[in-house]
Amino acid sequence: MSTKILKLAVLGTIGLTSFAQAETVPITGQVESRCVIVTDTAGVYGNPNAYTLTTDPSQGGVESVVRFDVTLADSYYARITSPTEFSSSPNLPDVVTWTGNTEVDAVSDASTMGTYESNKIQYGNTDQYDLTATGSTWFKTSSEAVLGGSRPYPGGNYTALVLAECIAK
Amino acid sequence: MLKKLLWVLVACCWASYSYSDGINPYYGYTGNAAVNGLSWNMRDVLPSPPGLDINGVIYNYTIRKQTEDSVTVNVQNENISGTGYIFRERDEWKPGSLDGTQINKVVPVVPSNRSLWGDGSIEVQGNGSVEDARVLYTYRVDPCYDPQYSPQCPGYKVIIPDIEIVDYEIYDATADAYTQNACVEGDTSSQCVAQKDDDDEGESEEEKEEREAEEEKDRKERLEEALAEADNSAMFANALAQSQILAAIDAARNINSYYAKTISGGVYNETISLPRTELPDNKQGLRNGLAQQLLHQQMVQSQYEK
Repeated sequence: MSTKILKLAVLGTIGLTSFAQAETVPITGQVESRCVIVTDTAGVYGNPNAYTLTTDPSQGGVESVVRFDVTLADSYYARITSPTEFSSSPNLPDVVTWTGNTEVDAVSDASTMGTYESNKIQYGNTDQYDLTATGSTWFKTSSEAVLGGSRPYPGGNYTALVLAECIAK
Repeated sequence: MLKKLLWVLVACCWASYSYSDGINPYYGYTGNAAVNGLSWNMRDVLPSPPGLDINGVIYNYTIRKQTEDSVTVNVQNENISGTGYIFRERDEWKPGSLDGTQINKVVPVVPSNRSLWGDGSIEVQGNGSVEDARVLYTYRVDPCYDPQYSPQCPGYKVIIPDIEIVDYEIYDATADAYTQNACVEGDTSSQCVAQKDDDDEGESEEEKEEREAEEEKDRKERLEEALAEADNSAMFANALAQSQILAAIDAARNINSYYAKTISGGVYNETISLPRTELPDNKQGLRNGLAQQLLHQQMVQSQYEK
């Protein structure tokens, strides 16, 4: 059986070689990101009074922590924006005043990353860090939302999102 | 062709089986070495196996400093086999780095045996300090570091205990001097005859008489001892016979038969009946009581009569 197949294959080859042929050869490649963002800790809002939601640990909240892993030095910015609106919530009777802040929580190399915090640029609710070294950096973000007029938040689930971006220089 | 393929397949399977049959190394990590302070003894940190190679250090801490200060932190282990450190990781907190920043660091090291790792410490240079320090060591353990750990380890040797060879002196009873001297008078065996002849040769008449006198004396003493032993035996036998007679007499007074008596069962009714329900006073008792009373009064009265 295998002998027959071999003969057929040889004949086929001979037949094919008698024609001109054109081929397109693909070249594939895969580029892995040199900057990876990982959620380390999801934040939780505490509710110290009727009209305030805050991630302050002293008031029952949990600050969110996000980690940036960079394998190519001096090539990326870390841009982190604290929430300015709820992504999901009950209907609110008034406007919400947002405050937030991001700071370096931990680094994997003190010598090269220790000054990230003091060198950061802030605009609005966004903090931008220049990732000049390879390694991991943990950023923690706090958020507070106060409902206008000291009116109580309606009961329900509230979700707000921290936006973390790794932007190539 | 198929047979060849099968042989190749069997060979591959055999190889993989042999590989998994051995004792494989395993990996782990220690607890926090800095749990009790900024210096530690590796003997208290590492587990006990001798074939342990440290292949990494994981640490984190929070720096405490003023923003404008420069602080250097060294996480280190002394080198036992030489001077300096077998591991030293340096963190330079430059001016501008903020107070309260943590550092999380994973430092792989060339695997080296535990015996080279000396005491560990976190050294702070400059105006600052560290807190919440945590230092872990990752390691790899080769159970066959000591080949005698298991027969499956390469280089395992079956230990044959050294048995001490004792040079025993073999006792030849026939060569014993006492055996040779055991020939008695009148023994006509060839050995004794030959021995007697040997003894007689070269012995003077005076020595011969002296020896015979000595033998005669010994013979009498032996006879005396034998008679004494016989007498003692007879006395012992008499005492034994007497004790047996006494035991036989005691057996005749055996009181076990008393213990074996039984009382027949049933109901034992009261045999005394009282036809009258009233018990009259005993008149004799009354008389006796009055007599006692009279006697008592007489005795009392006699005191005053004196």
